[in-house]
Amino acid sequence: MADAMQPLPLSALAGSITPGRKGRRSGGPGVLVEEVRPSGIATIIARQGQTEALAAKVRLDLGCDLPLKPRRVDSAGVALIWAGPGRWLALAAADHVDAPFAADLETRLSGLASVMDQGHALSLLRLSGPRVRDALAKGFPIDLHPRAFGPDDAAITLVSHITAHIWQTRADPVYEVAVARSLAASFWHWLEASAAEYGLQIEGG
Amino acid sequence: MNDAAPNAHSAAPARRLGDNAPLRLAEGGLIDRSRTLAFTFDGQRYLGHPGDTLASALIANGVRLVGRSFKYHRPRGILSAGPEEPNALVELRSGARREPNSRATTIELYDGLVAASQNRWPSLKYDLLSINGLAGPIIGAGFYYKTFMWPAAWWEKVYEPLIRRAAGLGRAAGVPDPDTYDKANLHCDVLVVGAGPAGLMAALTAGRAGARVVLCEDDFRLGGRLLLDRREIDGRSALNWVAATEAELAAMPEVRILRRTSVVATYDHGTYAAVERVNDHVAEPPSHEPRQRLWRIVATRCVVAAGATERPLVFPGNDRPGVMLAGAVRAYVNRFAAIPGRRAVVFATNDDAARTVDDLAHCGVDVVAVVDARPQASAVMADATQRASARHISGGAVTRVHGRLGVEAVDIRAANGATARVACDLVCVSGGWSPNVHLASHLGGRPEWDATLAAFVARNLPERMDLAGAAAGDLALADAFTQGHRAGSAAAEACGFSAASAPIPLLDPESTATSPLWRVTGTRGKAFVDFQNDVTTGDLELAHREGFRSVEHMKRYTTLGMATDQGKTSNVNGLALMAELTQTSIPATGTTTFRPPYLPVAIGTLAGHHRGKEFRPTRLAPTHTWAKEQGAIFVETGLWLRAQWYPTPGEKDWLESVDREVRAVRSAVGICDVSTLGKIDVQGPGAAAFLDFLYTNTMSTLAIGRARYGLMLREDGFVMDDGTVSRLGPEHYVVTTTTANAAGVMAHMEHAQQWLRPGLDVTLASVSEQWAQLSVAGPRSRDVLRAVVDPAHDISDAAFPYLAVAEVSAMGGIPARLFRISYSGERAYEIAVPAGYGDALVRALMDAGRAHGIVPYGTETLGVLRIEKGHVAGNEISGQTTARDLGLGRMLSRKKDFIGRALAERPALVAAGRPALVGLKPVDRSLRLRAGAHLVAQGAEPTAANDQGYVTSVAHSPTLGHWIGLALLSGGATRHGERVRVWDPVRSGDTLAEVCDPVFYDPAGERLHG
Repeated sequence: MADAMQPLPLSALAGSITPGRKGRRSGGPGVLVEEVRPSGIATIIARQGQTEALAAKVRLDLGCDLPLKPRRVDSAGVALIWAGPGRWLALAAADHVDAPFAADLETRLSGLASVMDQGHALSLLRLSGPRVRDALAKGFPIDLHPRAFGPDDAAITLVSHITAHIWQTRADPVYEVAVARSLAASFWHWLEASAAEYGLQIEGG
Repeated sequence: MNDAAPNAHSAAPARRLGDNAPLRLAEGGLIDRSRTLAFTFDGQRYLGHPGDTLASALIANGVRLVGRSFKYHRPRGILSAGPEEPNALVELRSGARREPNSRATTIELYDGLVAASQNRWPSLKYDLLSINGLAGPIIGAGFYYKTFMWPAAWWEKVYEPLIRRAAGLGRAAGVPDPDTYDKANLHCDVLVVGAGPAGLMAALTAGRAGARVVLCEDDFRLGGRLLLDRREIDGRSALNWVAATEAELAAMPEVRILRRTSVVATYDHGTYAAVERVNDHVAEPPSHEPRQRLWRIVATRCVVAAGATERPLVFPGNDRPGVMLAGAVRAYVNRFAAIPGRRAVVFATNDDAARTVDDLAHCGVDVVAVVDARPQASAVMADATQRASARHISGGAVTRVHGRLGVEAVDIRAANGATARVACDLVCVSGGWSPNVHLASHLGGRPEWDATLAAFVARNLPERMDLAGAAAGDLALADAFTQGHRAGSAAAEACGFSAASAPIPLLDPESTATSPLWRVTGTRGKAFVDFQNDVTTGDLELAHREGFRSVEHMKRYTTLGMATDQGKTSNVNGLALMAELTQTSIPATGTTTFRPPYLPVAIGTLAGHHRGKEFRPTRLAPTHTWAKEQGAIFVETGLWLRAQWYPTPGEKDWLESVDREVRAVRSAVGICDVSTLGKIDVQGPGAAAFLDFLYTNTMSTLAIGRARYGLMLREDGFVMDDGTVSRLGPEHYVVTTTTANAAGVMAHMEHAQQWLRPGLDVTLASVSEQWAQLSVAGPRSRDVLRAVVDPAHDISDAAFPYLAVAEVSAMGGIPARLFRISYSGERAYEIAVPAGYGDALVRALMDAGRAHGIVPYGTETLGVLRIEKGHVAGNEISGQTTARDLGLGRMLSRKKDFIGRALAERPALVAAGRPALVGLKPVDRSLRLRAGAHLVAQGAEPTAANDQGYVTSVAHSPTLGHWIGLALLSGGATRHGERVRVWDPVRSGDTLAEVCDPVFYDPAGERLHG
């Protein structure tokens, strides 16, 4: 029952993330950042003893293997990211059409898992650029060196006192970071301060 | 060891320097003479070159007096050439960037550098407080303990300001630091601390093996002592080897070299702290760059090649400007081409100092005498002395130093006791080298005494740590290379790489023979052990006489080894003298505890990004932007910023605003963002049973589409938190927590699920961030909501009564949850939409409510409304109250088990007379009540023995027209109607109040239903 008058959602970074260059101006940007807006986000938690059945269902419906360690899988416009034992974050690509995403997942996974809509709970940033690892090292205490963390690896850690879920999408490298919506502005302050010496290019808008 | 001539460079000495020859050599050294840097010290302008330190530039300019000592204000010069410097401490930079106690020996010179001496008044040369020196016998060890005892009131007003003015070192800037500081994480296979010969060799070996290597060097140049000594490696200058090694390391993609970086601490599990002085070598950091960066380094293996520190010798006047460490003198002449004196005496206990004799002679310094404390003549020393055409005194000692502001002559006592006065302006001293065992000892391992080295060495190393080079006691260059290679290989192999063996370079001959001399005996005058804290041999003797035998007590009583240098040049001498006094051995005396950091670290560096409001993150509610537009006053509640009240034009104070907001809710409608409350989604076949176990009341009987107030206890039977439980489906609940306890309740629930009821199939997930939830409260609330909730949903009282819950849509199809719950006691609802729509929702509600007199309200009004209704909140759920105390005893189910049930029945928790919740009204209605005030019986003395409870919450009730309060009072409800004395010693309050039912307003609860 979508309505022509329906309001648009407001990003938690609305006041912070304005396209343009921040920090060092000379040379190319060291870090590039853009806000990612998946069309749906859900938390999936396996019901007791159902992990195998859940994995089978995921394989059947999405054609990918449910990650049982801190990894990300991506198939048919849906990414599943390990978020703790028996727990995953599901992201629907921006052009994903099976909306509402969480409700659809809930129906498909009924009896195997609990599904919570988190479409507005998280702010997602995509980070890249030649100095992205140097900037991230100012907050992420984990090792992001390619020998330790590569494409489709994921981790949950604490950055500037803020819980951050990070995964890598490309080898060059490209990372995505999810933080709680209410803390997104504070996380942004940290990121802007940390990337300033390398030059931060804010894309999109 | 090799007894041959120690220095292959010792060709014919250069022509002797004349008395007016410049103190900067015309050639040699690692300075860039093509560029000149101007700097000022104590307002005087000087010139130096890139590659200089402040200390080397001062020496090259003939400045010998650089500071005054801590206690006696004695003139002091430059002792060392490194971070161990105890004397040459200056205030660096000016204004907001002024940094006290900066070591001139590690300050890299830059153009425009401004530095000033410390601890002198009115000037460095004429310091009036140097009279303290004459009072030496009075202000020796323990002076403060003995003198400033009483009266106690004098401490803050008299003694402390006096001591601080007299004894303080540098001054802090006193204004906020304009620069930024950074913190960052670094991971590697092998961390190498120190880029001297051992460290470079270790890094090279591990790097060649393919390991991820981080090489940290304190200095701005790699090379360590290879930069300071004239050595040959493979038949060429050692500098060539350093350059080639540096180039090879720089070309390795997995090797990271951090210059100007001091590793200052070892922590557990291979974690280290390092401070990188990113922009200390420039006047101001380039924009967007930090001044310093604190690295947290996590390494699988660590090779500490941190070198060794030379020990001074203890003799009268050993602190005079011009008395310098022999190795430091080599550093100045070889690396900086700066001559610390024209006529030198060398006083040493070891063959290493022979290099100083050679190097001084090499650059034309007149070495007048070489005093070797060792009774047996050393061939190495004798040869060097001969090459320098100096007098050689074996078994001798320097017994006195002449000259007040700088050395003018020394008395030398020969082995036969004859004393002669020798004119000189430089005394090079060496008592041997102490390996830098600090990083190896930070985790508690005590270093052990090695009699051959006459030094402490680290034996019980932290796991994953190895030592190499001088830090391990391997003072010879050949050993540094061998051990550096061994340690680098072992570290790489422990990380799964295979290291190739490499040839050890061919070296010039060397000797490290040494024999300790802890002090020169049979002398008079102050002989300093600790320069920075002005601790003399006399102070140690005094401490010993007064019974301080433990090394830790001796340290604290005399302050030896304290202050910013942490006794780097003094501790071993101090311990040895202590051992001598107590007639025990040095190993039996032991060392004091080594604690991080190895070097002083600025607080700003430890804070990094987290200063000011970035001290901790801030959580913003979904309607924050809108509330800011409305001019809301915000309050910090935990990490959250919440609107406290919304002033409107013309209102004089918060009370006026809050009264207006309360009246609007009671008479019309108000809205408040309650998104900050915790929201936990509970699902699964076991959900109902789980919640029954968690809450004191029963949740399994809750109908779908209904909400219930819930109370949970801690295991110990006290109330933990309260909130609402709503049932959305047969196996689906959503529960709320208070804002403050959201994380704690989630942890409590996870504990209950994982450990107490693992058999229940239930899932828990925080959905606090997903929903923007607004309270819409007041008689007109339904009218407002009608315009926002989509028309398809019936929200009439018949379809949606008090405590109904429904999943609806709003604003044209936005999914929403509607709850008919009330905290205010009025007809009230909470409506939740996905957080991104919170801003739209508050605007839609305000638009819809305009005709109904809607107002936004903040946490103050929320508080007034709940106090008027007698609802408990954080002030009452304090962790010390039971359900019965709070009047909630009926919520303790007798039909089921729940967390805290058993312990809630402990005798003390059910005892009659426990303070329990009551309401209070001031007898004189015009008076104000204060939270925190204590309650005593009317007419009783306000003493602890008579205490009957205290006021937990107060509010001005515009509804009743006077102040009201909630309190915990002994006897609780049995005392309704009584009067009690409300005594507030903090704010001088003493009033009478009437005890009443805590529900002040609408006790029958009729307004809830509309």
